[in-house]
Amino acid sequence: MKEKDLYVDFKAQQAVYYVEKSDESYGPVISGSYLAKNYLDDFYDKMNKQEQALREKLKAGEISPVYYYCIIREFGEGDLASRVGISVQKLRKHYKMENFVKMRLSLLKKYADAFDIPVAGLFHTTLTRHENAGKLRIEHAETPNPYFSISKIEANEE
Amino acid sequence: MKEIAFEHRMAAHCETGTVTALLNHGGLQITEPMVFGIASGIFFGYFESSNFSFPTFIVRNKPGSIRKNISKRLGVQFYEQNFRDSHKGEKTLNDLIAKGIPTAAQVDFYYMDYMPDYQRVHINVHFINVIGMNENAYLVSDSYYPKKSELKIQTLNKARFAGGFMAPKGFLFYPVSIPKDILYEKAIITGIKKASYNMLKLPVPFIGIRGIRKFAKKVKTWPGIARDIDHLSHEIMRINILLEDQGTGGAGFRYLYASFLQQAAAEIKENSLKDMSKRMMMIGDNWRNISYFAAKAGKNRDLGPERLNELSEMINARADEEQQFFSDLARLVK
Repeated sequence: MKEKDLYVDFKAQQAVYYVEKSDESYGPVISGSYLAKNYLDDFYDKMNKQEQALREKLKAGEISPVYYYCIIREFGEGDLASRVGISVQKLRKHYKMENFVKMRLSLLKKYADAFDIPVAGLFHTTLTRHENAGKLRIEHAETPNPYFSISKIEANEE
Repeated sequence: MKEIAFEHRMAAHCETGTVTALLNHGGLQITEPMVFGIASGIFFGYFESSNFSFPTFIVRNKPGSIRKNISKRLGVQFYEQNFRDSHKGEKTLNDLIAKGIPTAAQVDFYYMDYMPDYQRVHINVHFINVIGMNENAYLVSDSYYPKKSELKIQTLNKARFAGGFMAPKGFLFYPVSIPKDILYEKAIITGIKKASYNMLKLPVPFIGIRGIRKFAKKVKTWPGIARDIDHLSHEIMRINILLEDQGTGGAGFRYLYASFLQQAAAEIKENSLKDMSKRMMMIGDNWRNISYFAAKAGKNRDLGPERLNELSEMINARADEEQQFFSDLARLVK
C-alpha cells in the first residue's frame, strides 16, 4: 500500500501501518483506523440492539446474568469457565436462572470479577431515564471488603 | 512518579513493539520488521475453539514466540518469570522498576483502560513495557497508544493475573544480555526458513496455507452459527479488525513482512529478497481488499450466500498466492 492511500483522519484510534513511501522504501506511518472512522456508529448500533434484546430476555427470566455478560463481554465459553474455575458444562447450566439462583456467593464473586463488575451488578443494572441523556460514567470502586463496592456516577467532560 | 528514561514509540504489534523497544533501550539498534521477520512472525491459523466466542483466525505466530526466537537467533538472553503468587509478582515488578529496569509484562488487554472502550476485549496475550510507578499507578509504554499512560496498580494487577485461556500468570521479561556482534545473515535465513515451513509444511489442517483454505471454506458456514444477522455482520467486520486494526501493521502482518524482506535484502545484499518484498507488498494489498470487502458487506448486511462465496473465493486466491510465494521464498534460502 502506498503511503498516500493510507491516511485516515481519526484521532481517537491511531495505529502504526507499514506502507510504501515515495522513495519506494517500506516503513511505518501512524494513521487513524479506517474501520473506526467509517463504521463505528454501526458497531454501537449493533451493540446497543444486542444489549437491549438480551436485557429483555433477562427481565423475562429467559437467561441469567451469566449468559448476558458472557455475550456482552464476548467471552469464549472455555475462556470464561477457566477464569471462574469450573467446567464449560457447568458454565452452561448457569445460563439458566433456575441454576443461577442456586449459586454460592463465592462463585458469583468469581463471575463478577471475570466480568469486571461488582457482585451487585449481577442482580441490578442502571439506565438513564431517557436515551442519549448526556454522557454519564459509572465507576465501581472496590473496597477492602470484596463483597461491598461503591458506585460513583459522574458526567463526562465533553 | 519514578520514571525510567525510556523512549516510547508506537509499533504495529504489541509483542514485536515491546521486544524492539527493550532491545533499543539496551543499545541494540534493530527495527520492528527485523524483529518480526527474524522471529518468523508471519503465520496463518484458523481456529474453532470454545476459548473463542466465534471461529477466528490469527495471522502471527504463537504469542511468546517472538521473544523466544529472537533469543535463539540473535543470542539475546532474557530474564523471564511467571508467578503463582500475585503478591510476589507485584513485588518483583516494583523492585525491577525501583532498580530502573524497564520490564515487559503480559496482560489481559481488556484492562488497558486508556484505550477506547470499543477496542477493549479480553485477550490474555497483550504485552506492554512498565517504565515507572508511584504509590497509586504504574507508568506504561504500550505500542498501541500514542503516549505513555498511567494504569492504576490494582488495574495492572488484575490484567497480569487474569485467569482463562493463555492466562498471563504475571509473566515478566526483560533482556539481561545483548551480544555486541550479531550475525544477521544466519538469523535472517533461519527466520525465513522457519516461516516458510510454518506456512507450507506444518502438518496441521488449520495452519498455514491449509489454514487459509479452511478459513475460505468455513466462512461460508458462519451464517449457521451466528445468533442473528447483526451478529454475523459483527463477525464478518471483525475480519477487518483482525487484519488491520488488531496490531498487524496492516493486511494481517503482510506489510510488516514485506518491510522485513526489504531490510533483509539490504542487510545481506540479496536482491532477490527485494523482489520478494515487492511481491509480499502486493499480496498485502490483496488481503487489504478483503478487509474493505468484509467491512462493506458487514455494514450493509449484504451477507447472503453469493456475497460470502465471493469472500471465500478472495480468501482462496490469497492461499494460492501465498503458497507460490512461500515456495519461492523457501527455494531462495535453501
